[in-house]
Amino acid sequence: MDASSEKEVVLKLRNIVRTYEMGSELIHALCGVSLDICRNEYVAIMGPSGSGKSTLMNIIGCLDIPTSGDYSLAGEMVADKNESELADIRNRLIGFVFQTFNLLPRANILHNVELPLIYGGVPKAERRDLAEQALERVGLKDRLTHRPNELSGGQCQRVAIARALVLNPSIILADEPTGNLDSKTGNDIMGMLDDLHADGQTVILVTHEDDIAAHAKRVLRLRDGEIESDVTKDERSIPDAIAV
Amino acid sequence: MKLLVDVGESLRIAVGAVTANKARGALTTLGIIIGIVAVTMTLAASNGMQQSFRQAAGSIGADVIYVSRMPWVTINDFFTFRNRPNISLYEAEKMVEAFTGAAIVNPTIFGRQPLKYRSEVLQDVAIVGTSEKMPLISGQVPEDGRFLMPFDVRFKKNVAIIGKDIAENLFPAADPLNKTINIGPYRYQVIGVMEKQGGNSFGGPNLDLQVFIPITSFVKSFGGRRNTNVNIAVKADSIAAMKNLEFEIIGEMRRIRKLRPAEDDNFSINKLDSLMGAFNSVFGAVLGIGLLVTSISLIVGGIGVMNIMFVSVTERTREIGIRKAIGARRRSILMQFLFESALICVLGGILGICLSILLTYVVNATGAFTASLSPGIMLSAVIVSALVGIVAGLVPAYKGAKFAPIDALRYE
Repeated sequence: MDASSEKEVVLKLRNIVRTYEMGSELIHALCGVSLDICRNEYVAIMGPSGSGKSTLMNIIGCLDIPTSGDYSLAGEMVADKNESELADIRNRLIGFVFQTFNLLPRANILHNVELPLIYGGVPKAERRDLAEQALERVGLKDRLTHRPNELSGGQCQRVAIARALVLNPSIILADEPTGNLDSKTGNDIMGMLDDLHADGQTVILVTHEDDIAAHAKRVLRLRDGEIESDVTKDERSIPDAIAV
Repeated sequence: MKLLVDVGESLRIAVGAVTANKARGALTTLGIIIGIVAVTMTLAASNGMQQSFRQAAGSIGADVIYVSRMPWVTINDFFTFRNRPNISLYEAEKMVEAFTGAAIVNPTIFGRQPLKYRSEVLQDVAIVGTSEKMPLISGQVPEDGRFLMPFDVRFKKNVAIIGKDIAENLFPAADPLNKTINIGPYRYQVIGVMEKQGGNSFGGPNLDLQVFIPITSFVKSFGGRRNTNVNIAVKADSIAAMKNLEFEIIGEMRRIRKLRPAEDDNFSINKLDSLMGAFNSVFGAVLGIGLLVTSISLIVGGIGVMNIMFVSVTERTREIGIRKAIGARRRSILMQFLFESALICVLGGILGICLSILLTYVVNATGAFTASLSPGIMLSAVIVSALVGIVAGLVPAYKGAKFAPIDALRYE
């Protein structure tokens, strides 16, 4: 029908259920979520706490597996995978940006960005080049040997973004990326995510702030473990050139 | 390739982790150092003892058969031997006669007497009554003067050749040659000083604290039937000839003693072989017990490492979460912590070896006993410490590797 259906579906969730056992009680965090996300979409997942958005993010990020339902990411069926294969998928296909940055405090910036490459088995010489390129993209090329505690929050989040995109993943998954930042720095970071999207990346945001979600082109709202609404804005900002 | 990259990263993390917690690392390492020092010093001491025993036993001679009243090594059948007659000088002379031209036979008697020169007195010195053939058997020769001559033995001369340590103790300033000393109440003239033998540290007699006199003079001065128990040394042409020689000696002794065919031998045949065998079995048992006891300290050190590794894993739960989120597998996390514990232990092992080398010098300098560290001991100490590290790190590392990434990421 519209432009997005012609595009390649990169993430496909079908009837995802996730329940937790809390003592004798069963908690239904997700009750049958189905969702398609296409390449180069810019999606925000919203919802009040307890709505299941963190659970959904964990499942999308392959940090957790659904109790039932199918999930395929870039053509790979996630539900059938064992732990090592999941680690491999996280490594190759997903770039995480966390609220608390989650950098290794003892490692310098360069090493932090090299880390996914190390676990991906990229040879040493190539590693440094790729990591420097990624850091250049976020404007931190002159800080390679600094440690996270020598940087501001905004700079840390930029390092995290560099780390997320260094292996050119299928999706960038940002969980409250501005939650620990002041609004000006937050805007910078969002601008950076906007740029990534404009460069062709698929970006998924998890947030509870409307003005952050406003950056996305599509907004999903969750309530009580189900999708309450799924709104795609008009396509004015997506140039035809990227749709090709 | 991935494995190789993992190794590099694990090593890097391990070094970082150990250097980040210096005091903690040092204390944990100390446990391993103590354990490794205990074990290597046990091995070094046993090695040294074995060496000095061999050295001491070397003077016995591998190609020499000794005929004595008692076997050198008796386990618990002492009472079967206690009624045996002493070997008399007469019997020894018969043996010398019997083997003349076929083998070198040297009779000796041991006794202990005080030694005196002017005001210097040495108590309880080993006096060896022997013949001119002794140097042919033991290889011990005088450094100054001369050894016994046939006529010394034949004419029961009161002459003595003294060991190097005796010369130094009894004649601190003077030249001992031709001086007259008192052996017990009897006056003997010093005609030679033996070469330094050394290697006195384990069990056996100090070969430099001996005085050699003619066996006939020994019997004349200190003899009497009760005190006269001769050992007869017979040197074979080669090790291969020993078996036949042994039969000939037994036959000759039985003939001299007029034993009937049904009677058991009432003397013993002793060889270096049997002594070494006994030594090795006793020594092996002692070493085994020593290692068992000292390895307990190594185990305790290992438990310390395990404890610290649990702390390290818990402290770094979040780090594990981060690493897993960006693609670390269980194997990578496991390896990271195993490398850390192995590094702590190998570091301890190497420091322990350094300390052991130092201790070995100190021990040898004091002269209490000889310790000797071989490259083999050092290498096995490093390997053992690495193994201790891996074993100690296994359970904590596995615990860390098992963390679910979401739980680990949420950990504060």
